[in-house]
Amino acid sequence: MTNSTYLKRVFQSYYRERKDEIIPVSSLKKREFGFIPWDKKIMIRHMGFSDINLLREYTVNNPPRHMYSSGSLYNLPNNQEMEYKDYVGCDLIIDIDVDHFYTPCKDKHDFWYCQECNHSGKGMIEKCTKCGSLKIKKFSWFCEICLDISKKEILNLIDNFLVPDFDIQANEMQIAFSGHRGYHLKIENDKIRQLTSEDRRELVDYFTGRNINFQILGFDEHAGQIFGFLNNNKDWSRKITDKIQNMLLNNTNEEITKFLEQIGLSKNLIISFINSKDYFLNILKNNDYNLWNIEGFGITTWKRFLKGIVHEIGVEIDEPVTIDIHRLIRYPGSLHGKTGFKVQALTLEELYEFNPLNENKKHLNPIVFESYEYKQKIKISSIEIPEFYIRDKTYGPYFKDDIIDIENHIAILLLSRDVAILEE
Amino acid sequence: MSNNSSNLSQLLQQYPWLPSLKDIYRDIALKDPIQFINDIFDNEQYDPIIERISKFFSVAFENLEIFPPFKPDENNISFYLLLKIILFVLNNKRITNRIANLYSKVTYSEIKKELEGNNRRNGIFILYQICINLGLNIQYIEEETYHTTLIRDNKKELKTNFKLYFTDFLHLSSNLKDDYRKLVNNTLSKGYVYIIPKELTRLIQEYVRKKILEINQIDKDNIENMRKSLFNNQNFKSLYDNIYSLWELKKEDFEYSIQVRFEKDKNLMELFPPCVKETLILIKEGQNIPHISRLFLTFFLLALDYPVDNIIEIFSATPDFNKQIAQYQVEFAKKKEYSPHSCDTLKSLNLCMATKYKDKLCIEGYFSKKKEQEQKIKHPLFYTQLKQYKLSKGQND
Repeated sequence: MTNSTYLKRVFQSYYRERKDEIIPVSSLKKREFGFIPWDKKIMIRHMGFSDINLLREYTVNNPPRHMYSSGSLYNLPNNQEMEYKDYVGCDLIIDIDVDHFYTPCKDKHDFWYCQECNHSGKGMIEKCTKCGSLKIKKFSWFCEICLDISKKEILNLIDNFLVPDFDIQANEMQIAFSGHRGYHLKIENDKIRQLTSEDRRELVDYFTGRNINFQILGFDEHAGQIFGFLNNNKDWSRKITDKIQNMLLNNTNEEITKFLEQIGLSKNLIISFINSKDYFLNILKNNDYNLWNIEGFGITTWKRFLKGIVHEIGVEIDEPVTIDIHRLIRYPGSLHGKTGFKVQALTLEELYEFNPLNENKKHLNPIVFESYEYKQKIKISSIEIPEFYIRDKTYGPYFKDDIIDIENHIAILLLSRDVAILEE
Repeated sequence: MSNNSSNLSQLLQQYPWLPSLKDIYRDIALKDPIQFINDIFDNEQYDPIIERISKFFSVAFENLEIFPPFKPDENNISFYLLLKIILFVLNNKRITNRIANLYSKVTYSEIKKELEGNNRRNGIFILYQICINLGLNIQYIEEETYHTTLIRDNKKELKTNFKLYFTDFLHLSSNLKDDYRKLVNNTLSKGYVYIIPKELTRLIQEYVRKKILEINQIDKDNIENMRKSLFNNQNFKSLYDNIYSLWELKKEDFEYSIQVRFEKDKNLMELFPPCVKETLILIKEGQNIPHISRLFLTFFLLALDYPVDNIIEIFSATPDFNKQIAQYQVEFAKKKEYSPHSCDTLKSLNLCMATKYKDKLCIEGYFSKKKEQEQKIKHPLFYTQLKQYKLSKGQND
């Protein structure tokens, strides 16, 4: 039996036995649906369902590998042409996926090899570190650390942007663990639904801090002297001054040095900054004096420093997802075809404590095939699978051609990720 | 008439583009256009309106930005409605752009005058009334200082009575594409953007401009029929013909050719990436394009060795064209040898038009023989070179 045939049956059993997990999203009748089947690498989209039972029935009869619904509402969601769907509006969608940004744990569990020179290594890279080729085969994994970073990003977005700046209420947020490496957030608000792609691009800039103009916010050079932000404003400059103060107060000199190195400052400038810590902290607290005078720091260095701070504050979101008003996102309660984990809907309160790989609340556990009695024999087909940790248990590392008899949910995870095959 | 409705009537007489016009001046605003034209053109008392219309078009065609305000009475409402009807039947995007530009600028100065007059409180109240009438989610607050900057001893405080809900702010500002109107450079708290009256007025100017531009998007199939019916009124036809002739005459002054050539008489338009094409099309339509688009186009054309005069000729179609300023700016850019923006920068500035134009080369990239793999285009100048190469080899997308 092929992986796909097996997994399709397993997924079908889930959709048949746990129908209620497929919860109705708001305005279900106006959403477009999309499915990726097991036998073809295509998306079947432009589908609509008039009620939740028809949708559930569809998933039992055609268990999908991946299942999506639109952030947009249409009067005719199943029309095959986008322009005739009669667009009504679109929820604001934010996708945070560790796939798109660096996390330190990637140096341990992600690896790559160069198809050009066969060189290999660990971590997140764009091109071969030896020959510079872009023909790289990447193998990425995930762990509690990167999922936790992903969660912190979404909480950063909610706690530091959406609630204080945009006044978005908890009941307007539909949060979900994606079933793999991140979180989705859908904001359902009639006014926001009417925002154009251009408007949404402005929101992306706000969340990420891109296109900030430091001069407009109050940072300027005059006669060779640098005048910084005052700390009583309510705009992005306040986020910046708060972040700097926080760094100066709570980070060790080593941590500050690491940050300054990352943004490309020279040794001398780093020493100069560290020596001026107390002076700078006093300036930041003083609202009548804002001469930012650190030896060696000219306008270029300051701007580099501020850009680094902005990057620390901004949220790592998948920008095209937020800008695109015709995007489909994973359906809550459906299964992720690359893990076999459930796309788990969460309230804001639940999100704070949620731990996808070791969740104690049964109704929130995305590992729906968890079983320690039922085991499956599989053969590893990937070069290497790093050691990983799920539900208080360590697995691996595994290597190509290893045959293992392993718990059902782990077998489904490895088969779904296409790093193992069923051993008959 | 109660005080409130009397105030609203006065507001509409001065600002007839407000949505309430249809409720309060139903008899004029919802009148059949043919009947409206007959009433205006067959009655001498309305002659000042017709004269004013002629003058307004003439001023717009001259690229002037000042137009003496009209006495805010019912004639001002008829003036606005007549303007819309003429623009509809003229169906010429460049003319509509010029009129939209001038009308919105006149509106801006009128509101500004109210704010700068002896009775500033009244000006603030009028601005608030306009926002409410537009259905904007605006809050009137006790004057609050929301932003302070300090350069040496020069403390600058921004104070306002207004907070505008962020979705409304975005609808009105996201087209303007300048740093001051970007949300990230403004003060946003609890869903509202703090905004000074002058900036709010600027956003309303943009609303008015967009509203007039919408005229050419409505009921396009009906233009010919409407024109025929309206031409039955000879006086109207005569005004229409006058405006049209004036346009034909004036457009000669700033007619330009989009013949981009670093080789004489060779049209390079087909070699240009969508970001450049879009800017050139907007200019051709007489739209007022943002400063950043002008810079990009200037740098791009200079990089292709375009003569300064040709570049100025292209910009001469913009509604706010000033030859002296354009000459200075293009020459300055040439002297400085600035490079055109890269694709990444254009994307971040929202000037990349690859998706809008569904341009295969931009979206999919090209196959690099050197690297033996697909590569993305990273610079608009490279696009032009590559396109030229492909066309010379007879390849097409």
